[in-house]
Formats: sequence, structure tokens, C-alpha cells
Amino acid sequence: MKCDLCHVNEANIHLIKIQGSKVEKMNICRECAKKFYFLDDENFYDDLSRILYRLLDTGSNDYVPEKDKKTWADFNYRRNKKCSYCGIDLKTIQRNRKVGCSNCYREFKDELFPVIKSIQGSLENKSKIPVNATRKIKMEKSLRDLRSSLQNEIIIENFEEAAKIRDRIKKLEKNIYGR
Amino acid sequence: MADKKFYLLENEISRDKHKNINKNKIILNTKVKIARNIAERKFASISGSQEKNAMLREIRKYMGDSGGFKNFRFYDIKSIKGLQRNLLIKDYMLDPEILRKISGRGIFLKNGRTWPVSSAVIINHEDHITIQSIYPALQIYKAYKEVTRIERYFEKGVTFAFDKNLGYLTASPSDIGTALRVTAVAHLPVLAVSPGFADLLKRIGKIGYRVSGYFVRQSEIVGNLFKVFNQATLGKGEKEILEEMQAICLNIIEEEQKERKQLRKNDLLGIRDNIYRSFGLLKYAKMLSYEEALELLSIIRLGLDMDLIDGVIDFNFFELAGKISNSHIIVDMEISDKPGDDRIDMIRADMIREKILKEVD
Repeated sequence: MKCDLCHVNEANIHLIKIQGSKVEKMNICRECAKKFYFLDDENFYDDLSRILYRLLDTGSNDYVPEKDKKTWADFNYRRNKKCSYCGIDLKTIQRNRKVGCSNCYREFKDELFPVIKSIQGSLENKSKIPVNATRKIKMEKSLRDLRSSLQNEIIIENFEEAAKIRDRIKKLEKNIYGR
Repeated sequence: MADKKFYLLENEISRDKHKNINKNKIILNTKVKIARNIAERKFASISGSQEKNAMLREIRKYMGDSGGFKNFRFYDIKSIKGLQRNLLIKDYMLDPEILRKISGRGIFLKNGRTWPVSSAVIINHEDHITIQSIYPALQIYKAYKEVTRIERYFEKGVTFAFDKNLGYLTASPSDIGTALRVTAVAHLPVLAVSPGFADLLKRIGKIGYRVSGYFVRQSEIVGNLFKVFNQATLGKGEKEILEEMQAICLNIIEEEQKERKQLRKNDLLGIRDNIYRSFGLLKYAKMLSYEEALELLSIIRLGLDMDLIDGVIDFNFFELAGKISNSHIIVDMEISDKPGDDRIDMIRADMIREKILKEVD
């Protein structure tokens, strides 16, 4: 079987990604895998997991210093698009690796989110919330917290507590989103 | 001029004062930092100096009016002189980047703190407000508590830029979410040269944390000092980051201790030889460069930790490392002219002898 990327070498790494009912296969050769992750020979097999992460985009959290740089280098920008609030353009954001205001995150969502995902390994915020946040944000935060503790209780098979939490979630959901 | 040293090293190098908290001499200190921006404003990253100065005035006024900042003292970075700026960077573990484009940048330092505990609020670095606190040894939770206490004074009257999906918004996308960065300085003389070190770093890297050199000269790590910090700020809550950092630091301590035990078992004579050679150099050298001094002190510190050396007074490595730096020597010794390096190297050698040798010949 030939490699999917270079179509020249024999593929010797075979990846199968199963997500729900979707199955994706990928066959690549060692050379292409190396190019894909800039590995030297010595670290090749140690870092196999990283290759997998990257190829399958499983949202790994591992940090490689060059990754940051590369992420920004790959940053796609539409040359003249400017933030309507602070006036900074995407080219400047790419050069400084810094945005100009809160609105940039909304305005350049499509460009910035892939970068954030790549740097942070996640797009899910779990931070605390400011004391003067709106009531809705506060309730949504408690909802998130409850959901994660529900998971924990289920893992340790504490179903009694889990049921209680489930009921609280239901109540809170009704509160936030109405019925 | 009492101000020139900011708060700090006018005290004697602490010999007994921090004995209990400094028991663990592998993690030397902990810094916790959070970044906040004021909602509906341009970030400091792209503001011009007029805008920054206006923001600085506004925040100063707020801090002056609020009761919470009575024991903070303000310094305009622009009005601090060159060498003292370097001291500020060193003593408060600040990003040297802060000294570029200093117009409109300020720092509030908490009074009444003695080294190595400190709290500071930095205005207009990358973000409008950066709050940080440093504690000796491994005291992540204490430092975090102090930072949130300061944050609360701001929250009473300031609305922070916050997005429910991205958390606290910061100028750099690598800080968004919790905008919390925990840094621990670790002294790892044995672990750093052990074969398992690279593997340990890799494992730490996989869960979103990083280890890098603390003093780096010409891409060499000097004095076996490392900083451990969290890379990811999004996808993890504050509690999770604190807990994981604590666990990683404890893990690092354990690994270093394990390696030291091994070393004692396998090559006691070798390590004693090494320690006493360093001792000899420190005792008799007439000139010491900063890098050499750090390397030697690292080994002496190891000798003290492993109880393998006599004739040396217990010292705080991190504190001494700051005090024997060029900028500290020039300021503390009140050398007015710009002396050649030789003179600084000579003073440094004398200073170290005075601080750590039990008997000075």
C-alpha cells in the first residue's frame, strides 16, 4: 500500500479513526510522518502519540515550543480586514501575536479560534467568573460545574448522588433556558 | 534614599527567619500571576502612550480612592533609573519585555513585605492590570489567595473583559481563559543531569506544563535553576491548574530527592569531591563571574541539602543569586561610576565569602 501523502513510499503507519459511526483511514510512510511533525530519528517512536494527536486532531494538550510559532505562521489572514472597535488588522495580530481588544476575539473568530485551539489545546473555558457577571453567566457556570461533577459521580458509581445532581441540573436548565 | 531598593534586600540575607518555610530547598519560590483587562477598552498591547497614560491615571485614581490599596506604593516605570529597573525585573521576577515602550507603564508594590514575599500590580504591560504575588518555597495556594484578594478590590468597581466561552480576555491568546500563570523556581542539580530528566519533561509537557531554564546565558542553563509553569490557561479551571502545579512540583521534588539518594549510594566520594572543589574555589577565588558563582553556589547548596559539607552557613540560593547579580552589586555597593567587569567580579567573590563562609580568613 502506498502512502496517502507522498504516493511514493510504502505506507507503514496505518491510522484508523472511529468517531461514532464514521470511520476514517489513513496510511502514511515514515518519512511523511516525520516531515509532518519535524522529528529527528531518535525521538521518532517516543513521539508517535504526538503524530497521532496531530493527524487525528484529538485536541491534545501537549506543548511543543515550535508549535506556537508554526501556528502563528500558518495563521490565515485576510489582508485588509480590520477590527471595527480598535482598528487593528489581522496582519498586525499575526506579527505581534496579540489582539487589540475584546472585540477582536468576536470579529476574527474564524481566524483566531484555530490558533487558540492549537496553543491552548482546548476551546472550552473553565475559569471562574467575575463577581459582577450577569446572572445568566453565573447560572451557566454552575450548570457546567454540575455536569462535570455528575460525570465524576458516575465514574465512581455513586449513582445516588448522581441522581441528585441530575435533578439539580434539570432544574437549573429550566431556569436558564425556560421550557 | 530609602526608595532605591524598593522594598527589599536591605535586610540581612535571612539566616533563620525563613527557616521553616524554606525547609524544602528544591522548590525555591512560587509566583502566581493573573492578567485582567478593563471591559470595552482597547488593550494596552496596541494603545499609544497617550492612551496608556490616561489608563494609568484612571487606575491610579481608582486604586487611590479604593480602600484596598493603602499599603501599595506606586512607581512610574519611566521615572525609575536604568539600573534600578533591572533590579525591579530581578526582584519581582518580571518579564524584561516590560522595559520596552515604558511610557504609560506603572507598578504598584506592596509595602511592609520582606523578602522573599512580595505582591505587585503592574499596569499596562500587555494587559491593563497584572496582579502577581511571590512566596518562598512551594506555596502556590497562599500566593493565589493573595492575588485573588487584590483582584477583589478591583472587582468592586471595575468590570473586567470576560467572555463566557473564552473566559478572561487578554491581549495574547495564550493567556485567555483563567489568565492564570503559576511559576515555580526549582533547583535541580542532580535531576537535571540524570538520564530520566528528558522523559520527565516530556511527561510534564503532555499535560500542558513546561520546564525551562531560569537563568540562561548563551543557551546554557546556569546554576541548575529551572522554572516550571503552566502553558495552558484555557480548558482548565483555576483549581485544576493550582492542583496540577502543586502535584507536578511535589513530583519534581520527589524525583530530585530520589536521584540524590541514588547519587549518595553510587558515588559518594565523587559528589563530595565535587562539593569541596566548589568550596575551595569559592573560598579562594579573587574574581567570580556571575555564571561561575551560580554554578558553584548550586553545588554548595546541594552539599548543604545532603549534609555533606561543613564550614558553610545555610543560605537562600534564590535570594543570594539575586544579590550577587551585576545590577544589585552596582546599586547595593553604591558604585557610582560604571566600573569594569573585573571590579564587579572581585566584589562578588568577596561578597559570597562574607555571606556563606563560617570563618573568613
